[in-house]
Amino acid sequence: MRMPSPLRPVPGLSFALVLATVFPALAHHGWSWTEDEFSEIEGTITQVYVGNPHATLDVDVEGEIWRVELAPPSQTMRAGFTEETAKPGDEVTAIGNRSLDENERRMKAVRIIVNGSTYDVYPSRVPSN
Amino acid sequence: MPTRALRASFYAYPLVNATHVLSIGALLTSVVLMDLRILGFLSAQNRQPFLKLMRRVALTAFCGAVATGVPMFAIRASEYFFNPAFRLKMLLIVLAGFNLVALRVFASEPDGTPSEKGGARFFAGLSLVLWLGVLVCGRFIGFL
Repeated sequence: MRMPSPLRPVPGLSFALVLATVFPALAHHGWSWTEDEFSEIEGTITQVYVGNPHATLDVDVEGEIWRVELAPPSQTMRAGFTEETAKPGDEVTAIGNRSLDENERRMKAVRIIVNGSTYDVYPSRVPSN
Repeated sequence: MPTRALRASFYAYPLVNATHVLSIGALLTSVVLMDLRILGFLSAQNRQPFLKLMRRVALTAFCGAVATGVPMFAIRASEYFFNPAFRLKMLLIVLAGFNLVALRVFASEPDGTPSEKGGARFFAGLSLVLWLGVLVCGRFIGFL
């Protein structure tokens, strides 16, 4: 007699779920991949992108290109920063949390200063002076 | 929707993204059920109509995933093109495509139903691994 077979747990799917939970700190989503302390970098903008899933600046800091992540486009533009605000060649100061990986030149910025103007893309996270 | 509008949108991008997730959920579910049936599980399901239904769901879901994936890729094509997780995902999709063709050519009945012999089970097992790999790689794109 043939028994009806219930849906058994799928080993592959469990494995995928485990994989997804054991690599928590690689994200540029959220802040889990960043240091808690704030740091500051200064350099020359090489690329400006204000769009989904979030805005970014590429910044030349003494010959090394840093990826500076900003907020999603709507929030970045609400802070007053659009693609017209800055262009390659402009000097920028970015304040935010850099990657926990010291070899990775990547920062999630809360405040950027370009051409004398300050843009707080994550106002609630800007450190108090 | 034009790439430029999607790129700066507040609602459209998350909605397209959600539809992509929905498509992938439906695709993975139907592929896993189809492969399990070929592997000999779920034997209470009448083999041929079940496989036919799952195949139809999978093909529709795949089209939905492509239709929502391409515009999101186009927003920042040069960025994603060099993303290792994206590249591996595309490679796995191509391999899954070859696997599907191989199942059809080497281990199917003339009517297109996968045979009940060992060959079809091999391709079904490979399909499970490949599509779960596609899922995990896709999730990693935003984290590299």
